Amino acid sequence: MDAINWHTFFFLLFALVACAFAVGVVLATNIVRMALYLIVSLGATSGLFFLAGADFVAAMQLMIYVGGTLVLLIFGVMLTAKGPFISMKTGGGDWILACLLSGCLAAFLLPAAFAVPGWRNVRHAADTAAVNAAQPEIAEAADASNATAEANSAVATNAPVQTRTATPLGMGLLGPRVDTLDPDDASLVAGMSGYLLPFEIISMHLLVVLVGAAYLARTKRRADSRNPGARNA
Amino acid sequence: MNAGDSLPLLLGLAVLLPLASFTAIVLFGRWMGKAGILASYVATGAIFGAFVLSAISFSIWYFGDLGAPAEAAHAEAVAHDAAVVDTGHASAVEHGTDHANAGHHTARPPKYFAGDWYTLGQFGKLKVTIGYHIDALTIVMFCMVTLIATLIHFYAFGYMHDELHEVTDHEVTLSNGHHLHRPGRFHRFFQYLSLFCFSMLGLVVAGNIAMVFVFWELVGICSYFLIGFYIERKSASNAANKAFIVNRVGDFGMIIGMMALWAGLGTFTFGDIKDAKGNVQQGIFSQVRQEKIAGEGNAYRLLPPDGMVKFAARNEIAAGVEPTPDQMNKWRDQNYGYWLLVIAGLGIFCGCVGKSAQFPLHVWLPDAMEGPTPVSALVHSATMVAAGVYLVGRFYPVFAAEVLLVIAYTGAITLFLAATIAITATDIKRVLAYSTVSQLGYMMLSLGVGGWVAGLFHLITHAFFKSLLFMCSGSVIHATHTNDMMKMGGLRKKMPWTAYTMLVGCLAIMGAGIPLLVGLSGYYSKDSIVAQALSFWNNNPRHGAVFFAIAAGGAAITAFYMFRLWFLTFAGEPRDHHVYDHAHESPKVMYMPLVILAAFAVGVGWNAPLRLNVHGASEWLSVTALLEQARPAGDLPNGVLLPELDHPDEHASHQPTIHVVAALVASGTALVGFLLAVAFYGVRILNPNEVKSQFAWIYRLLINKWWFDELYRVIFIRPVMLISQLVSNFDKKVIDWFIDSLARWTIHVANFDAMIDRYIVDNFVNVTAAWTWSIGNSLRSLQTGKLRQYVMLIVIGTVALGVLIRWSVAAGP
Amino acid sequence: MDLLSQPVGVSHYLVVGAILFISGVVCMAVKRNAIGVLMGIELVLNGANVNFVAFSSNFLRSDQGHSLGLDGQLISLFVIVLAAAEAAVALAIALNYYNNHSTIDVDRADELKG
Repeated sequence: MDAINWHTFFFLLFALVACAFAVGVVLATNIVRMALYLIVSLGATSGLFFLAGADFVAAMQLMIYVGGTLVLLIFGVMLTAKGPFISMKTGGGDWILACLLSGCLAAFLLPAAFAVPGWRNVRHAADTAAVNAAQPEIAEAADASNATAEANSAVATNAPVQTRTATPLGMGLLGPRVDTLDPDDASLVAGMSGYLLPFEIISMHLLVVLVGAAYLARTKRRADSRNPGARNA
Repeated sequence: MNAGDSLPLLLGLAVLLPLASFTAIVLFGRWMGKAGILASYVATGAIFGAFVLSAISFSIWYFGDLGAPAEAAHAEAVAHDAAVVDTGHASAVEHGTDHANAGHHTARPPKYFAGDWYTLGQFGKLKVTIGYHIDALTIVMFCMVTLIATLIHFYAFGYMHDELHEVTDHEVTLSNGHHLHRPGRFHRFFQYLSLFCFSMLGLVVAGNIAMVFVFWELVGICSYFLIGFYIERKSASNAANKAFIVNRVGDFGMIIGMMALWAGLGTFTFGDIKDAKGNVQQGIFSQVRQEKIAGEGNAYRLLPPDGMVKFAARNEIAAGVEPTPDQMNKWRDQNYGYWLLVIAGLGIFCGCVGKSAQFPLHVWLPDAMEGPTPVSALVHSATMVAAGVYLVGRFYPVFAAEVLLVIAYTGAITLFLAATIAITATDIKRVLAYSTVSQLGYMMLSLGVGGWVAGLFHLITHAFFKSLLFMCSGSVIHATHTNDMMKMGGLRKKMPWTAYTMLVGCLAIMGAGIPLLVGLSGYYSKDSIVAQALSFWNNNPRHGAVFFAIAAGGAAITAFYMFRLWFLTFAGEPRDHHVYDHAHESPKVMYMPLVILAAFAVGVGWNAPLRLNVHGASEWLSVTALLEQARPAGDLPNGVLLPELDHPDEHASHQPTIHVVAALVASGTALVGFLLAVAFYGVRILNPNEVKSQFAWIYRLLINKWWFDELYRVIFIRPVMLISQLVSNFDKKVIDWFIDSLARWTIHVANFDAMIDRYIVDNFVNVTAAWTWSIGNSLRSLQTGKLRQYVMLIVIGTVALGVLIRWSVAAGP
Repeated sequence: MDLLSQPVGVSHYLVVGAILFISGVVCMAVKRNAIGVLMGIELVLNGANVNFVAFSSNFLRSDQGHSLGLDGQLISLFVIVLAAAEAAVALAIALNYYNNHSTIDVDRADELKG
């Protein structure tokens, strides 16, 4: 038995949780349960992010997505629940149709996932070096068979892989890209081609959203069961 | 101022006075006095002024210095100096001694004044002018026309009194059965009378044939206005149309004659006119009758002028023969151009046939009696119808012998025809109308056989007694309100003035008098005509017999029907007591002119106790002497196409052998006619009805006026109506049918198009719209508004897109 | 186990992302509750995020240097932010709808039916 690739193990764990609970969101009827399942699923997704080396994004996922957006959704659930949680069932025909469509999508997406050979295999040099330390010739063979031997140099030097992305992300958002510095490419020389503009646009966007949402959700005369369909004041 | 300047001025003014009166009445007539009564004063004043001017002109002519005397007298003319007092005949009998060879007296050209007042235009060689030609004939005509017109103006003032207020015309029935009620037209009548006087005087004074033609038409249109004065009467308007149209038929020939004259002579003017530079422009007369031709004496013989000869010889001239004077004489001897001369003469005479109501254009004059009686008296007895005779007299030098023969025959036929119809007519004015036609025939006959002075003298005397007769009849009609003689009778007790003046007129027209001694005016004139006819018979056995017989017989018939008229109207027992009771004498303003005219009818043939110089001879002043002064130059022409024609000179008729016989025959036949009339209608020993039934077919012929109107209707009117019917039918059946069919076809096509539009095009559009709607409707079902369905559709779309890309790229798995 | 010893590549992440995506789509299509639909939207966005992160990772590919690098992560950051914004607005709409119609059932919201 080979050594357990703990990366793979955790990946599978998080992936299963995420997928299972995502399916659970679909199958659940109770809206609160759906919300809970969603939270779990998104948390697991965050773990996936960590495993992929996007630490900052994963942290943001947890903070913003799970901690913000989903909480908002929960608020929404609570604000729109009337009495005992009404169960709205979808007709069987819709389910069939949905499954059909999902099947089509799957048939389309899943093969696409495995389409490119470069996506399937991975040369995790640190892991293979750690795992296959006793088999250096396999590693060399594997290295030799690797087309991009030069690009592996940084990894082959057994240097710790840089997974701290916060600072480069922050810098990139402000303009300079400190992760890609190439004296040959003019657009990358000074580290320009950052994401300053999208950053500002997003900021404005958020402002607009704030205002809009505040307006849309302002206090109005509530239509209750005695007065259904009452319009805004 | 010498006569040559003053005469044109005076006579021109005399022509213009009635025109001024016409203009004034036309513009202001309605406001001249109450109901326009002053219009008659204006008109009468104007024509009286014209008479005064004519009288002054006559005194200038008689007393004044007329300028250079006539050409050096012919040797024979000198012998006429012996003055003979003859209270009887106007022309001296002494002429007879010098006329051993009849027809050899050469008349010198008369004294005349010719000139142009105004040149209207010059077209190449042709000058169209307003000009005058004044000689003794002009003066005599002026005096006669203005005098009679003045008297008739006075008469009309009384006769037309009805028109001063509203008139009820009993001869017009409206569609609702009532008689027409209309306002009076008093001033209008005098306006037309003035226009007519202007036209007639202009015609008489005219110096060229074109001006004559213009005034010819003017008198025609005035006659039209006056005949149709009572325009609401269908008979009157028809008669006016008939008069004008028949006149126009004659004018057609006149225009042909004028064209021939112009082509041959190059001028319209009658006499020679000296222009400002002193050049003499030759007129018509001196071109056709030249004193000398090619240097050799011609003695004013009638010869075709150069223009006509050249036209006749045009082929030879085109072939290169030079028209030297000698060559021209040679051609003339071969009678080149003679036919053109004949045609010119016949053409002019054609106009006279129309105007003077000769056969065959006589049909309009009896119908012209529809006009008021003053019109009949002035226009249709004395003046307008005399214009034709006047023109024949004026144009005499141009007529060839053959033309004169035609004139004579026309006159003879007319004379006989009209006289016979007058025997049976019962309308008093109709009798007088036919009498006029017959007397005009006398004048034409006289002119045709060579009696120039005789014919024109008869014209003057006829003017007086015929207008007298018409005015008397008008007086009778005014009193009895009927024209029918059969309703009259015994009126002389009620209307003595009218009766006895009419008796004078009847005697005058009969030619009453003591033969060879004294007579009324008609005696002298008729006598001279019969004498000339007899003289002609001597020279032309065949033709002359006809003319003499008709002339003499005509005298008898004339006397018969005139006295028939007088007896039926004024003598015997009244046949209609209603008419007799209402009859009254006319007012003074009406019967005074009758008296004056009667005096003239008696004495116009007598000599006045004054002397007159006629071509170097001293004569008693009389109408004939004055006319003699105006006799055209040259002898009467000899026949060329009919070589045996020999017109005797007028002086030949004054020989006792001829003159006495003629006097006796004329008086005798007149007496026979008179006695017959007395027998039938005076003392009534013979019954006219028996004659009527015994000669029924003759009576029918005469009472139907020889069926001339019916003949013309069949020959002319019916074909025209037939053609117009054909054309109208063609227009209705063919052209209208065609147009209507086109219209119907268009409607059919339009219907067809409408059907196509409605069922195909509209359907197409509607179906398209319906399809669009139904497709849209069915697509509507996609919009369910359901969120989840939209989501699914998004997914489907995405999948489809992916599949498409996958397949199009056709890459690996 | 063989499964546990094999290193994970981009494809596995893509599968996860696909599954999340499909679940989200089905959730959107099937759920009658408006909040449920919103949840579906979140799932979809998350699936996309997973993909982005997978592509940006340096470890998961056999061909080094062909990853998106920081770009992918930046994009996924943006997606998260936008998802939050969109969730806020969508929630406001849903609340409005709930207040006006007194029901959260999207099947009742068919007034735009044509």
